[in-house]
Amino acid sequence: MLYLIGLGLGEVEDIGVRGLRIAKAAKRVYFEMYTSLLHGPNGGIPQLEALLGRSVIPADREVLEEKAADILEGALTDDVAVLVVGDPMAATTHSDLILRAREWNIAVEIIHNASIISAVGCTGLQVYRFGAVVSICFWTDDWRPRSFCHHIKENLKRGLHTLCLLDIRVREPDMKALMRGRKEYEPARFMTVAQAASQLVEILTTAAEDEPQENDKDCFSVDTLCIGLARVGLSTEKLVAGPLKSLVDVELGGPLHSLIVCGPLHPLEHDFVKQFALDSASFSSQ
Amino acid sequence: MVNFTIDEVRGMMDKKTNIRNMSVIAHVDHGKSTLTDSLVSKAGIIAQSKAGEMRFTDTRKDEQERCITIKSTAITMYFELSESDVQLVKGAEQINKEKTRGFLINLIDSPGHVDFSSEVTAALRVTDGALVVVDAVSGVCVQTETVLRQAIAERIKPILFMNKMDRALLELQLQQEDLYQTFARISESINVIIATYSDEQGPMGDIKIDPSKGNCGFGSGLHGWAFTLKQFAEMYAAKFGIDLEKLMNRLWGENFYNPKTKKWSKQKTSADEMRSFNFFVLDPLYKIFDAVMNFKKEETDKLLQKLNIELKLEDKEKEGKHLLRIILQKWLPAGEVLFQMITLHLPSPATAQKYRMEMLYEGPHDDEAAVAIKNCDPEGPLMMYISKMVPTSDKGRFYAFGRVFSGKVQTGQKVRIMGPNYVPGKKDDLYEKSIQRTVLMMGRNTEAIEDVPSGNICGLVGVDQFLVKTGTISTFKDAHNLKVMKFSVSPVVRVAVEPKNPADLPKLVEGLKRLAKSDPMVQCIIEESGEHIIAGAGELHLEICLKDLEEDHACIPIKTSDPVVSYRETVSETSSEICLSKSPNKHNRLYMSATPMPDGLAEDIDSGEISAKQEFKARGRILADKYGYDVGEARKIWCFGPDVEGPNILMDVTKGVQYLNEIKDSVIAGFQWSTKEGVLCEENCRGIRFNVHDVTLHADAIHRGGGQIIPTARRCFYACVLTAAPRLMEPVYLVEIQCPEAAVGGIYGVLNRRRGHVIEENQVVGTPMFVVKAYLPVNESFGFTADLRSNTGGQAFPQCVFDHWQILPGDPLEANSKPSQVVATTRKRKGLKEGIPDLSNYLDKL
Repeated sequence: MLYLIGLGLGEVEDIGVRGLRIAKAAKRVYFEMYTSLLHGPNGGIPQLEALLGRSVIPADREVLEEKAADILEGALTDDVAVLVVGDPMAATTHSDLILRAREWNIAVEIIHNASIISAVGCTGLQVYRFGAVVSICFWTDDWRPRSFCHHIKENLKRGLHTLCLLDIRVREPDMKALMRGRKEYEPARFMTVAQAASQLVEILTTAAEDEPQENDKDCFSVDTLCIGLARVGLSTEKLVAGPLKSLVDVELGGPLHSLIVCGPLHPLEHDFVKQFALDSASFSSQ
Repeated sequence: MVNFTIDEVRGMMDKKTNIRNMSVIAHVDHGKSTLTDSLVSKAGIIAQSKAGEMRFTDTRKDEQERCITIKSTAITMYFELSESDVQLVKGAEQINKEKTRGFLINLIDSPGHVDFSSEVTAALRVTDGALVVVDAVSGVCVQTETVLRQAIAERIKPILFMNKMDRALLELQLQQEDLYQTFARISESINVIIATYSDEQGPMGDIKIDPSKGNCGFGSGLHGWAFTLKQFAEMYAAKFGIDLEKLMNRLWGENFYNPKTKKWSKQKTSADEMRSFNFFVLDPLYKIFDAVMNFKKEETDKLLQKLNIELKLEDKEKEGKHLLRIILQKWLPAGEVLFQMITLHLPSPATAQKYRMEMLYEGPHDDEAAVAIKNCDPEGPLMMYISKMVPTSDKGRFYAFGRVFSGKVQTGQKVRIMGPNYVPGKKDDLYEKSIQRTVLMMGRNTEAIEDVPSGNICGLVGVDQFLVKTGTISTFKDAHNLKVMKFSVSPVVRVAVEPKNPADLPKLVEGLKRLAKSDPMVQCIIEESGEHIIAGAGELHLEICLKDLEEDHACIPIKTSDPVVSYRETVSETSSEICLSKSPNKHNRLYMSATPMPDGLAEDIDSGEISAKQEFKARGRILADKYGYDVGEARKIWCFGPDVEGPNILMDVTKGVQYLNEIKDSVIAGFQWSTKEGVLCEENCRGIRFNVHDVTLHADAIHRGGGQIIPTARRCFYACVLTAAPRLMEPVYLVEIQCPEAAVGGIYGVLNRRRGHVIEENQVVGTPMFVVKAYLPVNESFGFTADLRSNTGGQAFPQCVFDHWQILPGDPLEANSKPSQVVATTRKRKGLKEGIPDLSNYLDKL
């Protein structure tokens, strides 16, 4: 049996009672730690092990994508649990694992939990009024994708908000070293709201030569209202709202961060968001 | 003995019109170094009596012992033109008439053996003119053509010298008309090469060799005498009252003179009419030879009087060859003649850099650096190309040797040191350091000098640790690189080395680093198995490298494996299916295929005819016209590889895929990776065209980054090769063998045993020698020279030049075929898993 157990937003204790029971009893427990992280030192492993009273196997991208067969082999005979921060099915990442488990005739049970996708409700924005979720990835010297901006515009055109998940890079292989035949890992990095905002500002202020000229310039600009979210669900949660350009130098502290690009606000949403405004005086006029 | 000081030289360096940078190039044993001695002796560095024996520019002990040049060597010399000759220099860029008649000549003597032709390439880059030396007895040989072709490609103006005339007269006893025909034939073959590789309308203008223009010399480097038609025309001009240039014209070609009627004609109509070259030039020489060699004392004295030559008392005692040599040296001193040829016919930096800039500079042709190079402007930003590293007496350190194209390089100056991988605007392969010292390279010695202005050649101290072999030095922040040199040979022969005492490994590693620096071409590689590999152009090249490694660079005893050759991986058919590979997260799918390139395309990419830097529409047109590619597809080449310019291409044949651009760079990275390390045994790929047919991508950019796409692209490329009937290619030498007729049979025997085949067999006109040309797989060439000698009684001498790649017959995927054995041993050597990985590792199912 393969269990995918959601851990909730970030505190170790956010795990549900059923999930806790299964995780304690399972033969092997993997802790997926590259789509998100628990709050605490070393990715939260020590606290998690203390709570469960057992050891867990840290699983990075390589373990879950390239060595999935090992996980599944164990699940053929025993109970294996994969712990995922947030909700296990909120991200696309684990659908392949489930598909392969089905191929192996392994029963799969999913224990859901809260995810940032539902927790954005804390901003007062209505969850019904969100469009497609996008991820903003770290740019490198020669890889600067801009497609997420296009998706945000699509949402805005339909009057919808956009939740932007921000890149986290934990134990990503360094491609340059890999091509020299060595396996090395990049240092761990988490994208901040400020970094995401500055990448968006750059896209909005420079034209790409290979993109068709879009006539939707007005729907998304550096003045569009955005909300920066940090550590949602934790006691140290922090939210700030303001025009995109003002978030470029906002400092929200430790990971994890997310960003919301707001569509037109409902009056109730407006009043709610106003609480987090960087500059509440100018906010009222929006 | 040195008859000029550093201060004088420094003063000369500022007069860019009065500088000549030139290299001496030729086939092996045609007498470059010996001839160079004549120049050095004229410049006063070695005694005239020793000229021709000393090989001043052969600075290494093994060079002296073997009588072969291994490293190119530079010297700076000074020469003053006579008052009358100054008038013959054409163009304001070529001489500063008001100020001086003196010229500064930077000469680089280069090796003639093909294995060292990378040294020639390095020498050509820093010079503007080349003295092509041809042995008048053996004529134009394979290496003559190779180096001349390289020179023309670098926009180096050639002048010709026909050497070893003493042998033609003394050993072969050629008649006057035969000798004339020999000369005419040589200059004709040189002009054929020039015409093939240059363009008369090109920026260099007409660079053909024409003896009547005086850009072709004759003589004997060994005996230290030489002449051009100018020398003889000068002797007769006054007597006939004919203009010098007109007379020179009459002394060559179909011009005849009747001494009885004293009439000139264009055709030989009667026996009295003699070819003017024979009558005026060769006849006096033949008379001297005849008189001296046959001990006709009186006649000799009479001739000496006529020629106004006074001999010293002790010289008068001498006889035969020795006397002949002294007389001819007095009458036609080689140094003077050669210097005149160089100053009159080779371009100054001011002239040459005008048309060389566009070949040299990678950046826009109108930026500050480009303009400064074009004008050879000493006040512009510094642009210097380092073409090679020269070992210093201080072990492990090197002088960075190169040419200042613009600005001034000086001691203590802070400069940007840009390696070949530097890309403007980025920080890779870039250092900002101070130059410790600038030095002048003088054959065996160096002299410190405060600064060196544009148009000159010099060495730098303190730059070596920042550059591997070559690079660009600049003070201009936005400077692009000066183009990397293209070698005519490739490092196809390799050996593995290890220290005899395993504890010496660190010394070996350090030694290999130094070796890699000291030679423009040698490659030192560490395989995954931990083996240290040295790759060179041929057996001799490797032999010298190994000796240097053992004696100079590592200073430890080393063990060497048998030499092995590099192979290339290619495909012989189109992939049997369109291959699919999925990314690790399974959300991205790539669909690609491989197909062999049409014949000749890989070679065109090698030669730069078709390249990554071309304008894509122009390139598409060539590909469509010459190779029948679809124009639309041919315009959508994503890249070349390995190393961005290799002979494999990646084509985008997708239709309307959104966000394809976001994964393009990752696919290209995978392409570079897998064409550099092919699937069969991690050798380079060659002649494969990969097509990207379709891709399916995850909706979110974060799930299709390099980490997902690069390994997937590589797996897909590997699957494409494995499904397209992969083949191995081996390198093949073009062998040129000179031998007497009796030895030809032995040559055939040796070649047959070694899978070689003869493509051409000719008699050298006017000699009993034969030239056999053949193709020989490099893998079969080890010990070939020795084998050939023992089978021909030591009469045959081969020259092997890498020529092309050829498919090794057989299927590497089939057990026990020849290629599969090569793959197996190569994989074992590199420490790879046994056996070619199965297709299922790379090909995914839908």
